[in-house]
Amino acid sequence: MLGLLGPNGAGKTTTLRMLSTALKPDSGQIHINGQDVVARPLVGRKSIGFLSGSTGLYGRLSAKENVEYFAKLHGLKGRALKTRCDELFEVLDMGSFLNKRAEHLSTGMKQKANIARAVVHQPDVVVLDEPTTGLDIMTTQTVINFIRELKSKGTPVIFSTHHLDEVALLCDRICVIDRGVSCFDDTLENFKVKGQSQELNQAFLNLLQGVAHV
Amino acid sequence: MFEVFKKELLELIRDKKTLFFVLALPMLVFPVIMALVGFLGSQATLKAEQKVHTYYIVNEQHGQAYAERVFYHKSFKKYAGEETFSSVEELKQAVRSGIIDVGIFLQSDPQKELSKGKQANWQVVFNDAQSINFIYDRLRSLANEVSENLREQTLIELGIEKEKQQAILQPILISKVDTADKRENLGEKLGAFIPYLLIPLVLMGASYPAIDLGAGEKERGTLETLLLTPVTRTQLVLGKFLTVLLSSLACATVTVLSMAVWVSVAISFVKLDTVKSAFSSVTGTDFLLIFALLVPIAAIFSSLVLAISIYARTFKEAQNYMAPLSMGVFLPIVVSLMPNMELTAKTALIPVTNVALAIKEIIKGTVDYGLLTMIVIASALLATVLLAFCVRWFSKEEVLFR
Repeated sequence: MLGLLGPNGAGKTTTLRMLSTALKPDSGQIHINGQDVVARPLVGRKSIGFLSGSTGLYGRLSAKENVEYFAKLHGLKGRALKTRCDELFEVLDMGSFLNKRAEHLSTGMKQKANIARAVVHQPDVVVLDEPTTGLDIMTTQTVINFIRELKSKGTPVIFSTHHLDEVALLCDRICVIDRGVSCFDDTLENFKVKGQSQELNQAFLNLLQGVAHV
Repeated sequence: MFEVFKKELLELIRDKKTLFFVLALPMLVFPVIMALVGFLGSQATLKAEQKVHTYYIVNEQHGQAYAERVFYHKSFKKYAGEETFSSVEELKQAVRSGIIDVGIFLQSDPQKELSKGKQANWQVVFNDAQSINFIYDRLRSLANEVSENLREQTLIELGIEKEKQQAILQPILISKVDTADKRENLGEKLGAFIPYLLIPLVLMGASYPAIDLGAGEKERGTLETLLLTPVTRTQLVLGKFLTVLLSSLACATVTVLSMAVWVSVAISFVKLDTVKSAFSSVTGTDFLLIFALLVPIAAIFSSLVLAISIYARTFKEAQNYMAPLSMGVFLPIVVSLMPNMELTAKTALIPVTNVALAIKEIIKGTVDYGLLTMIVIASALLATVLLAFCVRWFSKEEVLFR
């Protein structure tokens, strides 16, 4: 579980967009399960699940239709599609609003449908771009639970956030970037050591100021 | 691609705005608007026809017979006030101030002028700014009657019998024998009007869904997730393109059907034998040909508006880009309406103009199938180029993530 930190404009979203193949890097390589996803983005996309706080749903489709649509785009069909979707609907407790149009769903319901959409194809890696930004406490908890679930199953997760309490709660490893450059990439414990503070916000600020001095 | 198409179509069908613009508007609103305009127009004409105008004649003694005819005409009422007027300027002033509606200035007696070999010059003073106005026509018609009587009388006095007068006044009577049949004649007029209605509707049918499928996806935040599925950009664009194309053609088809129904309803109420007989020779094949021509033009518009929509960041931005395009599409149609503009090997290569000219030729029944094939191929080629551009546009990061 990797937490990607950095101030606004540091390049977090760009990095995650590159990892998820939405953007093509000018140079360098990205490998998922040994596959070069820069060279073969279509193959890479089958292995990646992507979710952000601002990801939308198709308003005129129901929650079920939204999830099934993405399942079909990922190549699922027939029995396999139904089994996988039913499994997700049950795990995420979506039964009460499955057939409701997305435009009529609450934020929490929408985010549950979004989570189902992001992982319907059982990705090898999940990329989350500020998945809790702008969400209320209840919805945030849904997302946190989802990330925990992924962690318990051993699915690698890379997520960017400004909420360091979430980092403390979920991450094994932290990467800090500033102005497009990685300035820290290590464990949470070493983050506190290098940031010279047990308080994460302070450690983060110290780390960035240290970078500025360099 | 088919999954994308199916989903886009489902969303489109569930969108009330699209249903309104693509189906309801051409099906109901246009005939309603036309009926409303027709009703209001006929009411205004009726009102103008029935209006009684107050008049004043200066020098009535120069035209007693004329003054009498005006007096007994149902549309004119003699000024009963106390004021008197004696010149054109005074009549102008009286009309402007609303004392009278029309002033008639009889400068001289036509009989006396005629004896001197001269014409009498009479003037009608009124406000001609109103769009529906029968004043001048009616007064001129009455003056013509007096004039004809006077001429007839004078010619008899000169010893020319009444029966010979017409031949003397007009020794040569020329008339035309038209080789064009009713369909060709009417097609020349109506055929120019039909593309004017159809082609912008094809564009309108494409614009709204295109905005929703491109800029709308960006605004709702669904585009990024769509781009991260293992579907190629070509497949995504084709799926969206087919939806826009279908909507565009649906709009055109509904419009044509709606117009056909309303025209047949109108014809059954009003006796328009010429129109009936002209349209009865327009066959189902002709309608199919018109539809066949609309397919490539719809493809051109669909690719174009989809490319614009993909570039735009928001729904509103896309609408702003579409506005000049909507205006721009009228230009090639207007070119097709220019005098002596015909479908030739050259004009068959001008986008939009070629289709407008070809539709006119089809309605006239004088279509050249070789040129028609040329138009379909040229338009299809242009549509393909634009579609390829659209795919390229959809693969550019700087366009997608502006």
